[in-house]
Parts: sequence; C-alpha cells; structure tokens
Amino acid sequence: MSDQIESAEVTSTGRRSFLGILAAGIGAVITAVLGIAIGRFTIAPAFSTSGEAVWTEVGPLDEIEEGKPVRYSVVVSQNAGWGRFNFQRPIWVLKKGSEITVYSAVCPHLGCTVNTSKDDFICACHNSKWDLSGKLLGGPSPRGLDTLEHRVEGDVLQVKYQDFKQGVSTKEAVS
Amino acid sequence: MEKSPSRLTRLYDWLDERTGVKQFVHEALDEPIRGGARFAYVFGSVLLTLFLLQVATGIFLTLYYVPSSDHAHASVTYIQKAVPGGSLLRGIHHYGASVMVIVAVLHVSQTFLFGAYKKKRELIWISGGLMLLLLFGFAFTGYLLSWDQAAYFGTKVGTNIAGEIPVVGPLQQRILLGGNDLTTLTLSRFFTTHVFLLPLGLAGLVALHLFLFRRAGPAGPYHERDDKQVDLFYPKQLFKDTVAIGLVFAVLVFLALKVPAELGPEADPTSDYLARPPWYFMPLFQLLKYFPGKLAIIPTVLLPGFVFGLLFLLPFIDRREERHPRRRPFAMFSLVLVLTGSLGLIALAKYEDRRDPEVSRKLKAQEEEMHDFFSAPFEPQQIGTAPPEKVELAGPVADPPQAYVEDCADCHGARGEGDSGPHLIGLVGKPRRSKDDLMKIMENARSYGLKKPMPKSFPEITAEDKQKIVEWLASLKAKK
Repeated sequence: MSDQIESAEVTSTGRRSFLGILAAGIGAVITAVLGIAIGRFTIAPAFSTSGEAVWTEVGPLDEIEEGKPVRYSVVVSQNAGWGRFNFQRPIWVLKKGSEITVYSAVCPHLGCTVNTSKDDFICACHNSKWDLSGKLLGGPSPRGLDTLEHRVEGDVLQVKYQDFKQGVSTKEAVS
Repeated sequence: MEKSPSRLTRLYDWLDERTGVKQFVHEALDEPIRGGARFAYVFGSVLLTLFLLQVATGIFLTLYYVPSSDHAHASVTYIQKAVPGGSLLRGIHHYGASVMVIVAVLHVSQTFLFGAYKKKRELIWISGGLMLLLLFGFAFTGYLLSWDQAAYFGTKVGTNIAGEIPVVGPLQQRILLGGNDLTTLTLSRFFTTHVFLLPLGLAGLVALHLFLFRRAGPAGPYHERDDKQVDLFYPKQLFKDTVAIGLVFAVLVFLALKVPAELGPEADPTSDYLARPPWYFMPLFQLLKYFPGKLAIIPTVLLPGFVFGLLFLLPFIDRREERHPRRRPFAMFSLVLVLTGSLGLIALAKYEDRRDPEVSRKLKAQEEEMHDFFSAPFEPQQIGTAPPEKVELAGPVADPPQAYVEDCADCHGARGEGDSGPHLIGLVGKPRRSKDDLMKIMENARSYGLKKPMPKSFPEITAEDKQKIVEWLASLKAKK
C-alpha cells in the first residue's frame, strides 16, 4: 500500500500544480462573489441618510415660559433600515419677548444631553459649560451650543430638528 | 530557488516551526484514496461547503433581521428589496437549504449504495443520520423566520402535528411555541434554535463525522478489482470536490439572481391562507391525507421514526461484509423504494393540488398576491406615531361619491384630508398608486403591503362605485 501511495505521488506531480491552481481559482471566484455581496450588504447603511430635516411642532407659543430655558421634546422621524422611527429628541427653547432661540440639547463634544444649572447650560458628562446665548464658557466642547432653525406658524412654534457633527469647531449638519 | 529559498518559503518554514502547519497540511491533503479519486465522493465536501455558506450568509442576514413578530417581516422585506446584495445573500441562504437537503440525500444514498456504513464506519453513519435530522430542524425553524403567510401557516400546521403526538404532544407543542399559540415568543425560540443551538450541534457533529471518517479512512470502491489505483486527496479528489462545489455555488447564485427567494405578504392570522409545506416536507404532507384522526400518528411519528430508526440501526442489522450493490438486492430495493416513494408522494401532492379546481384557484390567487407584494417597492415600517403631515388641497373639490362617504371617510377624512388613517391628497400618480393600482388595492390591500385596519377586500363596494371613488381621489391635488 505504501509504495502505491508513493507512486501516486510521483505520477501526480506533473498535474499536481495545474489541478491545484484550477481548484484555487474556483475557490477564489466563490470567495470573491460572496465577499463582494457580503461587503456591499454590510456597508450599505453607512451610505444612506436618515432623511431630510422637516418642520415639527414644539407647542403653542404663548404657553412657553418667558426668560429662562425650557426643555421640550420634539418628534423626529428617522429612517433606519427597515423602519421609519418617530422618536422624541430633546431641545432647549429660550423665549425673551419676541426673541426666540432654540438649541439642540445634544452636546457638540460627544453627544451627551445638555442640561441647565443656575444661569448656564452645562453638560455633566465632561463639564462643558455655555451661557444662555450658547457661547462656550469652558470645558472640552469644541464649539457653542447648536441652534436649530425655527419659525412660528399661526401661534405654534415649529423647529427643524437636525443632528450636527460632533467634535469639530464648526457646526455641520449630518443626515 | 533551491539554493536560496524564497521569502515565501522562509515564512512558511518560520510558521511551521511555531505551528506545525506542514504536518497539518500533509494530514489534510495527502490522505490516500483507495481506488482513486471519483466524482461519487464529492458530496461530503459539497455539504460541508454548503454548511459554511449557510453560516456565512446567515450571520450577515442577522445584521438586519429582527426576530420579533412586529418587525420580522419588515426586516426581511428590507433585506430582500432594499439592501444591496440582500436578495443575493437571502437567495443563497434560501436555496442553499433546499440544495443541502438534496445533496444530503445524495450523500446518504452514495454511502448506502457503496455499503460504506459497514464495519468500523458505524459511528460515521450514525453521526451522519443525526446531522440529517438537524438539517430538517434547520429547515423547520428557518421557515418561520420570514413571518410571511406561508411561514406562519406552515409552522402552525407543523407545530400542531407535534402536538398530536400521544402523551408528550401537548407539552411538546407548548414548549415549541412558547405558550399555547404561535406568537413572537415562538419566533424568538425558533430564531435561537436556528442560529445558535442547531449550528453548534451541527458543527460538533461535523467535527466528529470528519474525525471518525479520517480515522477509518475512505471506504473506497465496493469492487475489490477497482482497488488497485490509489490517489491522494490532493490534487485529484480536491479538484473534483472543488468542481462540484463551484457548480453548486453557480446554481445557487443563478437561482438567487433569476428566481429571487419567495417572500409573501406579512402573516395575517385571520386570513384563510392555504398552507403548503416546502417540497422536502411534502411526502409527509401527502401521507397525512391518507391517515385521518388518530391514525395521523402513523405518517407523523411512526413512519419517520421507523425510517430513521432503521437508518441508525442499519450498520448493526446488515452486518455482512458484502458491499457490492448487486449482491445486496434487499438493500437496493429499500433505497429505491424510499427515494421513489418520496418523489412519488411529492408528485402526487402537486398533482392533487392542480387537479382540485378549488384548491388550485386558491393557490393561484395566493401566488398572485405574493407576486404583487413582491414587486411593490419597499416601504419602511412606521415605528411610533409620526408627526402629522400637513397637506392642504390645492383648491375646492367636488363632493365625494356616496360610497366614499360610507366606506372611507371615517378614517381618511371627509375630503381625504386624513383622520385616523392617512390622507389621500395627491395620492394618485405616486409610485404604485395609479388609478389601476387603486382599483386593485380595493380588491386586495394586503398585496400592496397595506395593513390592518385597511380591509383586505371591499366586497360591499360595487365596481362602479370603486371607479367613482378612484376618479374622485384623482381630483384631490395637493397645494404646492
């Protein structure tokens, strides 16, 4: 038996590499087809957007408290794969007479939720601090608080909720 | 080259010193195959590759799949219709299941034909039989996951069959379902079984099967005179295996691209869907027709139990050393009987479905419903309450037809402005919302992916009234 095996080894040396290369070629084609399909399948969401920013209602203007930041939640519709998710997002509304400012409550540093403390906005995660005009007073945040576009339709305050790129000094919308 | 070894050779030597890779490659590739390489021996390798292919495609399908009755169908629809490569991966996984059953049957048949289950190989045969059972477990649990009509009603029948088994049946069914009905819990446990438990079990059995096989060595040809030539696994057998694997893979890709894996509308437990099992369960389905009531235990438990019992005991019942098929007439007769019997039952089931006018009409309608759903563009599932969309009419419109007032206005508003249901302003002309489409939606809303409470059909509205409604809807233009 053992010399039979050896003879098989000897006689096959000529075709050995040729069949081997053919087999490897077939294997490579299968791997490539599958790999490309899996690759496209996996990275697809990285190139999709969660949808355009649209106007959503905050509430009746005259019900908003005067002179100090008030936290509201607005419903934001976001595309994520198989669903369109209507989730609430936090915002800060500051009304001084006819002057209205709406801030995103997402910290520009790393995305924690911004809160108020006495007369300032703070982010308790890493101690960033802003004054009521949104100006950065201290901490690791790269910029002031992000303002959101707003308008008044009838007597209802509406806001265009957006997410902004974190960790950069300029405000850039991401979708 | 020999004088100064190339970098690659040096790297290989370096690796070998640390891992023993050369010995491993030698063990893997230089296995002697008595009687020489053959295409008859490719099925095991093809099955192993198919298993790996199912694992690879299955792992990535779970990137999007959600095992919850609320979202399973939406997520599978998304994979099928919207994700790049999704239809291909799902198609390979879907057809891979069927091809695995076919190749497993061929593998078992070849082993049986060659008498390769005898002496020293009993445990290889038994571990193979266990894997065959797991394969059907995979098929049964995977079938439910898409949560479409066929999946829901097919599994309903399947779990009811499990419940009919005397004594253990009722409890077994409740454990399978996770309660007394087919719910999201059932889906979760089928998912866990399909993607964790069964793959672990199968991987373990594959390892055992291969270990035992390599230990015993290939059985070789059944005729001793063919024993003279000996090939090593590499390259001849490996090449034949790879050719077969390439062929099977090409078939899978072709099917996935040309005949995308089926997906029907979402499961609707209130519908009268006519469930038909996938082809590999059809022999049992057909047999069920012949054994009413308590006798159903014969095709559901006794017969499969008998066949698999025989399968497992075969190496101990048939202890003769004779391996030539010609000298094993009874064994050959049994193989032919099981194979032709199964195929015959499948053919008979198909034939009876086609012959019965009622059934064939119903099945055809279901098929059309499926195709309508399948060709509709993907619509994301709404999660949570969407902020109300403000749409205004461009100008005054005529009063709606009476049928609209009676059957539609409650949800869609007196002027189509929307209420509990969505608004209908500017609807006509949107994708898949031509006047023809709207007529069809009123025939069958579900095939357009619409869900409850939008009624499945509007039998009380006459065709003439439907036409009036559609014409009126077309006049509802949105203000820019």
